[in-house]
Parts: sequence; structure tokens; C-alpha cells
Amino acid sequence: MAKGFGVLAAAMLTLAAMPAKADKLDDIIASGTLRCAVVLDFPPMGSRDASNNPIGFDVDYCNDLAKALGVKAEIVETPFPDRIPALVSGRVDVGVASTSDTLERAKTAGFTIPYFAFKMVVLTKDGIGIKDYDSLKGKKTGSVSGTFEALALEKDVKAWGAGTTFRGYQTQADVFLALAQGQIDATVVTSTVAAAIVKEGKYKGLMMGGDAPYDIDYVALIALRNEQGLINYLNLFINQQVRTGRYKALYDKWIGLGEAPNLTIPGVYR
Amino acid sequence: MFETSFSLNDLWFMLKGAGVTLTVTFWAVLGGSLLGVAFGLMRAVSPWWVNAPIGFVLDIFRSVPLLIQLVLANAFKSIIGLKWDPFTVGCVVLAVYTAAYCTEIVRAGVLAVPATTRRAARSLGLSWTQDLTSIVFPIALRVALPSWIGLTLGVMKDTAMVWWIGIVELLRSSQVIVTRIHEPLFVLSIAGLIYFLMSFPIARLGARLEKRWREND
Amino acid sequence: MHYTFQWRVAFNALPDMLWGALVTLEVAVLSMVLGVFFAVVLALGSSSQYRAFRGAAATWVELARNTPALFQIYMAYFGLGSIGIQLDSFPALLAGITFNNAGYLAETFRGGLRAVPPTQMRAARSLGMGPVQAFRLIVLPQMFRVVFYPMTNQMVWAILMTSLGVIVGLNNDLTGVTQDLNVKSFRTFEFFAVAAVIYYLIAKLVTLSARLMAYRLFRY
Repeated sequence: MAKGFGVLAAAMLTLAAMPAKADKLDDIIASGTLRCAVVLDFPPMGSRDASNNPIGFDVDYCNDLAKALGVKAEIVETPFPDRIPALVSGRVDVGVASTSDTLERAKTAGFTIPYFAFKMVVLTKDGIGIKDYDSLKGKKTGSVSGTFEALALEKDVKAWGAGTTFRGYQTQADVFLALAQGQIDATVVTSTVAAAIVKEGKYKGLMMGGDAPYDIDYVALIALRNEQGLINYLNLFINQQVRTGRYKALYDKWIGLGEAPNLTIPGVYR
Repeated sequence: MFETSFSLNDLWFMLKGAGVTLTVTFWAVLGGSLLGVAFGLMRAVSPWWVNAPIGFVLDIFRSVPLLIQLVLANAFKSIIGLKWDPFTVGCVVLAVYTAAYCTEIVRAGVLAVPATTRRAARSLGLSWTQDLTSIVFPIALRVALPSWIGLTLGVMKDTAMVWWIGIVELLRSSQVIVTRIHEPLFVLSIAGLIYFLMSFPIARLGARLEKRWREND
Repeated sequence: MHYTFQWRVAFNALPDMLWGALVTLEVAVLSMVLGVFFAVVLALGSSSQYRAFRGAAATWVELARNTPALFQIYMAYFGLGSIGIQLDSFPALLAGITFNNAGYLAETFRGGLRAVPPTQMRAARSLGMGPVQAFRLIVLPQMFRVVFYPMTNQMVWAILMTSLGVIVGLNNDLTGVTQDLNVKSFRTFEFFAVAAVIYYLIAKLVTLSARLMAYRLFRY
């Protein structure tokens, strides 16, 4: 069967061989529209207002990028697990979607320099008795399939063994719903989204359960792996956002608490 | 007192989603039926070495979950560099899926016409085409139409899966609202009601037709 | 766009996916067994002399047949969850598919019952059989013959429907495992192509064994 697939693959590659043409950056400018993948169940980075229009840090960031390019921005709602598929299948040009820059993902998608950084916290419900990360042991946990925090949590859940369970959901909203309804006892999410959800107060009884001992989660914009021209542009754009103070302004507008996270890592280039 | 943050705005948003559901259904059923009639006639009249391969290929689309077909088609179209939007991908996949079932319905309809009836028609002096248009089609249609209505409704419900490739149809639009106002049971019930209202009357009509036509047999 | 297939990753994951296929089969079989049970109850309920039973049976059947399976599964998980009935992913998927199966099978069974002429029952009774005996030996075998093929179809649909468990967080059935692998490495086409082949083989296995069974059962 493997051989059959090989022949099929070869046939498809021949089909795919196309003459050289303008790159993605040219395409975007020529088309006049920048299609951004944004996650809209992830406040304050992305959510919807009362008339179901997209709002949030990532939405503004995409609009800024479109303005810089001199084109119109189009927000394409994309659940977390769908970000890279949406990019690869050409539904979007750029992912402005809090995408953690893991090495595994970089095999498929092209990452810019970080445009934001998250800290992870445990989000739980009162009455369950989870005070810190270690008390997740023996509890029902869940997160969005394939995200940075899901991978880290799932690994620990496996190490804790018997009794601790992990469920992967397809959207962030489903995770919060499952948590609020008691299908899971706790999840690990970025501190910003946890703060936003607790403050919003629509889910009764949700509360923070302490920091998760993970590395800082640097997130980057994503574009197709081979579109170096576009990635180059995006890198400069992120740099300019910080340099001009726009990054801080957006941080204050959407997150507000404390200082905007530092996007550089001491002791190493990039 | 029952309180809700569900607004007319949200209802409108969901009805737009229902519109997308119906549009996808329309294209899928249109394309699928045309293909299905072509393949069904082919299968009914052609020798086994044409019939068997068509049957085999179409059977695949009935044996693999639609969700997986959608994901595969979506990935495949970008591999070969087609610039289709998700809407087109959704319609095409559903059309092929519809065709796979429709073929069998058409074939069963045509085969349900007794050979003796056709021979009788021919011996009354009808030409082959006349036999097809005035004998086979009317009888086959009676057999096939109720199943075809059932298929159409089935496809309408199966369109719920296209949200996986990024189309905001009825079910997805209700999830969007659940995300904002956090009232899953209420919002989902409305979605269910809309589905029901789109499907039930037609299902009833199909059942009525089936019954009426059976009585006349 | 240039895409290089990496089948090796997909084939490496084959054992995991086959374990997932086992869970898929498990859900499908359980949902069929439960579905048949509830369908019989519904079929009896819809011919009951009590209006409440008839109404309840009709509501179940019409809801199951006129809303998407995906909706039913989502409702079983998040809808019921919001009124305090918390089902885990596996039971929620099972409940959703069972609900769907029962609705469709109830109609099948009703059709099956109707297909056996009442004269058969009378003939059997006049030969001296008791009502239960007549039902078991005369009506049931004939009815089974009529409903067997639609039941096989429903079983295949049940298998296809299990793929929707991923929506409610199930990550150990075939689609769940596949999606888990997919979101980690994004070799979407490779993983899902392998999954499609496995689903196809399961569906064929079911139809083939049904055909063998039919051959043994309906020889006369």
C-alpha cells in the first residue's frame, strides 16, 4: 500500500509543479485584502461584541498590519486546532492567532519573531479544591487540542498516571463550557484569558488556581513556511509595533494589568 | 423568570447561518443529483466491467465519515494548489457524497421497472427513447422520489459538518453565540428548532408521497 | 504550492490509530445494541393506546430524524451539561448516536411489523400457537428478514457517526487519535488518509459479516 501511495504522491507532485510567480506579499498587496486567521473565543486576544463582530488585541493587530500594507483586513475566525490547516490550505494569508512557536509546528508553518508572550495559569472552579498546579493530580483536566499548554498539560497528566484525565477540545469556548459545567475540574490557560474570563463573570464560580510551571509561552505570527519575503515583512512590522509604542497601547487597551510582556530572550539572538 | 442575553441580533445571525446551510445543501443536492442520475443510469444499463468500478468508487464515499472526507478534500486541494474557498470545497465534497447515494437510488428506480413492462412497451411500437421517457422514467421516479427527498434532508443535516473546514453555518453560528452569552441549552435548542422546521415539513411531504404512490400501485 | 508527503509519520502512528479504531467499533456496537433496544420500545410506544406514550415516541423519532447527528451529540454533551447532567465524552457520544439510531430503527421496525400480514398471525394462532409463540416463531423471523438490511446500513452509519466524538472532546477513538496527531504535526492529509482507509475497512468488515450472517440466516 505504501508503494501505491508513493505513486499517487508522485503524480500529485507533478500536478503541483507550477511556474515561478509573484510571492505571497505581492499577492496580498495586489488582491487588496489581508486575510488573518484570528481565534475569536480567546478574550482579550479575540472575541465578539454584542453584534457578533470580531474584537480584541489580535483583531487590532491584524488591522494595523493591513493598514501598514495598505490593504483591507479580513478577519477569518479560526479555532485553535485549525490555525495551521487554515494557513496551509490557503484560507488565510497570515495567522494573528497567539500561535506558540514550537519546533514541531515550525516544520509546517513559518514563524515570525514573537509578537506577544503569555504566562500560564490554572483555571478552576470554586469548591473543587485546586490551589496550585500540583493539586491537579487525580483531577479531570482539559484544554484545546494541540496548543502549547495542552501539550504540556497532557504530558504531566500522563506522568501523574492513574486517575488524572485529559480531554482535548476543538475550541477554547468548549473548554470553558466544559469547565463551567463540571465535565472537567480544571484547565491551564494563558493568564490574560483567565483574567478576562473571571472578570467577565458569565461563567459562575470560575477562579484562578495558581501559576502553571511552564516556560514563558512566546507566540508569533504565522505565514507559509516558504514565504520568506512575507515573514521578513512581518518581523519588521512586529519590531515597529514595539518601537512606535503601538504594542504598549494595544496592551493597555485590551489587557491593562501591569507591564506589556518583554518580547526578547536574554542571551540569544532573535 | 426566564432571563436571557439572546437578542434579535443573535437570532438574525443564526438565520443567516441557516441560509448558508440551505445554500450548501442546494448546490450539493443539485450537483449530486445530476451526477447521481448519470451514474445511476450508467450502472443500470452498462455491463459489469463498467458497473463494478463505478460502484466500487462510489461505495468509498459511503463508507468513510463525511468529516474525514471534508478534511481530506480540503487538505488535498491546497496540496495541488487549487484556490477554492471552503464554501466551494464543502459543496463539492457534499455533492460527491450525495451522488454516491443518489446513484443507488436512481439505479434501484430504473431496475424496479419490470423488464416485461419495457418489452410490452417496445412491442407496442415505442422506440427505445420513447420507452425510456414515457415508461421507465415515470415509473422509476415514483420509486426514487421518496428516497431522494430523504437523501436531500440527510444532506441538509450533514452540512452541519462543514464548520470543520471553516464555514459558519447554522450549528457553528449557534456555537459562536454560545461562546458569547454562555447559554448553551437555550441557544442550541433554537438551532435544533430551526433544523427541525427546515426538515420536518419536507419529511412529512415525502412520507405522504410515498404512501399515496404506493396505494396506486 | 509544493508539498512533500511524509507518509512515514503516518505509518508510525498506525498502532495508535488501530487502537482508536477499536474504540470506534466499541462505540458503534454499543450504540447499535442500545439503539435496537430503545427502537423496540419506541416502536411499541408508537402503537400504544396511551396518548402520552405515542407522543413521547413520536417526539423522539422526529427529533432524531430531523436534526443533525452532530447537533444531537453536541446537545448530549454541552446541552445536558448545562442542566447538571454531566456525561463524559464517551457516554455523551454513545448517547447521541444511540438517540439517533433508535429514531431511525424505530421507523424501520414499524415498517417491518407492517410488512408481516396480520393473516399470518391469525393462521399461526389457528394452528394452536399461543400469542407469544406465534409472535416469536412466525412474525419475528419474517420481520427480521425485512429489517436486517436497513439495520446493517444503520450500523455503518453508526460507525461513520462515531467520527463526531472529537467535537465533544473524545480523543481515543479513530478520529480523535487522528486529530490529536494532526494538531501536533499538521500532516493533515497523511494522517486522515490513513484514517479514511481504516474506516473504509471497518465499514466493509461490517457489511461483509452482515452478508455472511444473512446468507446463514435467510437460506430458506
